[in-house]
Amino acid sequence: MQSVLSLTAKNKNTLHGKSNSTPQSKLHSKSLITLVGSPNSGKTTLFNHLSGRKSRTVNYPGATVEYSYADFLECFSVNSKILDSPGIISLIPSSPDEKVTIENLFRHKIFGTPDLFVVTLDASQLSRHLLPALQLKDTGVNVILVITMRDILNQKGYDIELAEIRSLTGCDAVFFDGISGYGKEELSVLINYHLNNPDIPDIIVTAPGPELKEVNLINLFRRIERISENVIIKYDNSSGLTPDITNANKSLVIAGYDRKGLNKPDRTTLKIDSFMLHKYWGIVIFLCIMAFTFTSIFWLASPVMNLIDFIFRYSADYFTDAAGDSWFSDFISNGIIGGTGGVLVFLPQIVILFFILGVLEDSGYLARGAMLIDKPLSKIGLNGRSFAPMLSGFACAIPAIMAARTIQNKRERYITIFIIPLMSCSARLPVYGLLVSYLFGDEHFYSGITLAAIYLFGILSSLVVAGFINKYRSSFIKVEDNSSFIMELPVYRIPQFGFVFKSTLDNSWQYVKKAGPIILSFSVVLWIFTYFPNPDPQFKVTEGLSTEQISFLKSSERISNSYAASFGKIIEPLMKPIGLDWRVGVSLIATFAAREVFVSSLALIFKVTENEGNTRESLVNAMHTAETGTGGKKLFTFPAIIGLIVFFVFALQCISTLAVTRKETGGWRIPIIQLAAYSILAYMLAFITFNGLNLLM
Amino acid sequence: MTVADLKSGRKARIKTIDFTHPSSFRVMEYGFTPGQEIEIMNKAFLGDPLSVSLRGTLIAIRKTDAKCIELDGEE
Ligand SMILES: Nc1nc2c(ncn2[C@@H]2O[C@H](COP(=O)(O)OP(=O)(O)OP(=O)(O)O)[C@@H](O)[C@H]2O)c(=O)[nH]1
Ligand SMILES: [Mg+2]
Repeated sequence: MQSVLSLTAKNKNTLHGKSNSTPQSKLHSKSLITLVGSPNSGKTTLFNHLSGRKSRTVNYPGATVEYSYADFLECFSVNSKILDSPGIISLIPSSPDEKVTIENLFRHKIFGTPDLFVVTLDASQLSRHLLPALQLKDTGVNVILVITMRDILNQKGYDIELAEIRSLTGCDAVFFDGISGYGKEELSVLINYHLNNPDIPDIIVTAPGPELKEVNLINLFRRIERISENVIIKYDNSSGLTPDITNANKSLVIAGYDRKGLNKPDRTTLKIDSFMLHKYWGIVIFLCIMAFTFTSIFWLASPVMNLIDFIFRYSADYFTDAAGDSWFSDFISNGIIGGTGGVLVFLPQIVILFFILGVLEDSGYLARGAMLIDKPLSKIGLNGRSFAPMLSGFACAIPAIMAARTIQNKRERYITIFIIPLMSCSARLPVYGLLVSYLFGDEHFYSGITLAAIYLFGILSSLVVAGFINKYRSSFIKVEDNSSFIMELPVYRIPQFGFVFKSTLDNSWQYVKKAGPIILSFSVVLWIFTYFPNPDPQFKVTEGLSTEQISFLKSSERISNSYAASFGKIIEPLMKPIGLDWRVGVSLIATFAAREVFVSSLALIFKVTENEGNTRESLVNAMHTAETGTGGKKLFTFPAIIGLIVFFVFALQCISTLAVTRKETGGWRIPIIQLAAYSILAYMLAFITFNGLNLLM
Repeated sequence: MTVADLKSGRKARIKTIDFTHPSSFRVMEYGFTPGQEIEIMNKAFLGDPLSVSLRGTLIAIRKTDAKCIELDGEE
C-alpha cells in the first residue's frame, strides 16, 4: 500500500507553487484552511465559532462525517474559507476507504488543497491527540495547533505550557475554549500571519515503507511521550499566581511532580460509568432509556397536540363559515388547512424525539450505548458503531446512512445501511400517530405502549433482516475486512439544555420547511384529482330534496367520477387483499413524495368523500365513519389498521434514502435490492397480518 | 497474558503489541503502546467489550482486539 506520506510529499510542491504565486492573485482567490484532529476534539465547535455556522456538535467521537465549508466571520478579517473535516485517529489508513478519506484532507475533490491546517487537540488527552498532529506536521505542511478542553485538564489539576509545546513541535499553538469561544481572536491573528507569511520548511519527507509502519509509529509515540512529559504542568488555581511566576516555578515542579492523576480518567465519569456500564444493571438501564425515549414521544406530546389540532379545526371551520359553500372554500378548508394540520399535529412528537436524541448525544451516553450492544450486534453482522447511525435513523434515514461511514468494516457498514430504513423515521410518526389514535382515541397510555411496540417491531425486524443477510453474507458483499471495535468513551457532561433545545427547534423547523411545501403541493394536486373532471354534477330530479341532501349527492357523484377514482380503480385489486380501498391506495402512492403526505391525503380524500363535509370533525372521526364502497361495511377495521402499520414499517417510500444509499455504497445494487426486498416484505406481511387477524377475530 | 484476560479493577503495564494481529495497528494508534499503564474499569454485559483506562481516557475495546495487547505481570 502506498503511504499517504509520500502522497503529501508530492503534494508539497503544489502547495509551494500556490503560496509562492504573486500576492495579487492571493488577494483575489480566497485561501483555504482545513480543521483536522482526533474525533471529539472540538473541530466543529471551533468551526462554528469562526464561521458563525450552527453545525451539529455532539459529545460522541465521529459526529462529523461530511466536510463542510464556510467563510470566516467578517469580524476576524481573515480572507479565507474554513473546512471542517471528520475526525481521524491517525494519518495512516488501514483500509482503502480510509485512504480516500485521508487523501481528501490533502487534496479535496471540490475544495482543493489547503494553505494551512489547524489541528485541534483535547488538552486532557494530549498524548493521544498529538499523533495525527505530528503526523501532519511531518508531511511538511503548515500547521497551527489549537488546544481545546483546557477546562477539563484544569479540573484534573494540570495545565499545558504553550511555549514548551511550540518549541517541541515546531508549530504555533494557542488555547481555545469551546464553551466561551475565548481564544478565537488570537487564533485568527495567528492564521492571518501564517497565510501572509507562508513559511514552509524544506524538509523532504521520505515515505516510510509499509514494513516500517510499526517502527515509525513507535518512534512517533516516543516523541509524543517526551513532548507531553514536558508540556504538562501542575495547575494550581488556588495560589492565584500569574503565569510568569508559574513558569518560573515550573522548573522546580517538573522534576518530581505527581503525574498519577493525569493518568486517571475523569472521576465523575467513572462514578457514572459504574452504574451505566455495570455488569448487569448496565444493560437494564440501557433498555429503560430506550423504552423511555419511545414511549415519552407519545404521552409527553399529547397535550400540545390536542391544542394544535383544535386550532386547525377551528380555523378550517371559521373559513368555511366565512367563505360560504363554494369549491374555493372546500379547497382551502379541506385541501390546505385540513391537509397541513393533519401533519403539523404530530410536530410536538417530532420535537420531543429530536430533543431526547439530542440529550443522549450531548451527555456522552451514546458511546456507552455503542459499547453495550457491540457484542449482540456483532452476532448478526453489525458493530457497536452501528448503534449511533441506527438511533439517528429514528429522526431521518439520510444523515443516519451517512453516519454509517464511521464503521470501518465494509460489510458491517453495508448491512447497517441496509437496515436503517427499518428504523421508524420522524416522517412516519404522523402516520403511526394517526393510526394509533384511531385505534385508541384518548387513551394515551395504550397509545404510548402501542407506539413503542411499533418502534420495537421495526428494530426487531431490522435485527432479523441483518441476521439474514449476515447468513448469506458472501453473496451480499464479498470483502472480508477485519472486524474490530475500539472507541473512545468521552467524559460525561451535563447536556447544554439551551443548546440542545435550540438545535431541536432548528431541526424541527427544517422538518417543517422540507415537508411543508411537499404536503401543500400534493394537497393541491390531490384536491384537483378528487374535484375534477366533474366539478358540478347536475341531477334531473331534485324536487323534494333538502339543500343538504343535494350537496351530499353532488359531492358523492363528483368524487365517483373523479380522476382519482378512475386511477384508484386500477390499483383497487392490489388494495383489496390487505383490506383497504382505492382511497387508501391513492394515499399510499402519494407517500412516495414524502411519507407524511399519507396523512394529509387521507384527510383530504376522506373529508371530501365522506358525508356532509363537516370540517370540525377530526380526520380520525372521518375515518371512523368511512365505509367500504360496496357493502356499507366499516372500512378501517382493526386488522386493516394493523396491516397498514406493518406496511409502513417495511415500505421504503423515500426516494432520498435510495439516492443516499446509492451514493454511500457506490452503486445501484444495494438500493435496488433494498427497494425490492422491502416492497415485497411490506405487502406480503400486511397481507398476512390482515388476513391472519381476520381469521382470529 | 493479554488485556483480554485481565480482571476488572486490576492494573497492568503493556509489554508489547502483537503485530501479527489484524487490529494491532489500530490498537496502537488509539494509544496502547508498550510501557503504558492500563486498568479495566468496566465490562459490558457478558464481559465484552471492555472499558479500559488508558492515558487518562476511557477506551472501549472488544476482547478480540484486546488480545494483541500483551501485558507484564500484574502489579
Ligand atoms: N468542556 C469543553 N467542552 C468542549 C470544548 N470544546 C468543545 N467541547 C465539547 O466537545 C464535544 C465535541 O465537540 P465537537 O466540536 O463536536 O468535536 P469534533 O472534533 O467536531 O468531533 P467529530 O466531528 O466527532 O470529529 C462537544 O460536546 C462540545 O460541546 C471545550 O473547550 N471545553
Ligand atoms: Mg465535528
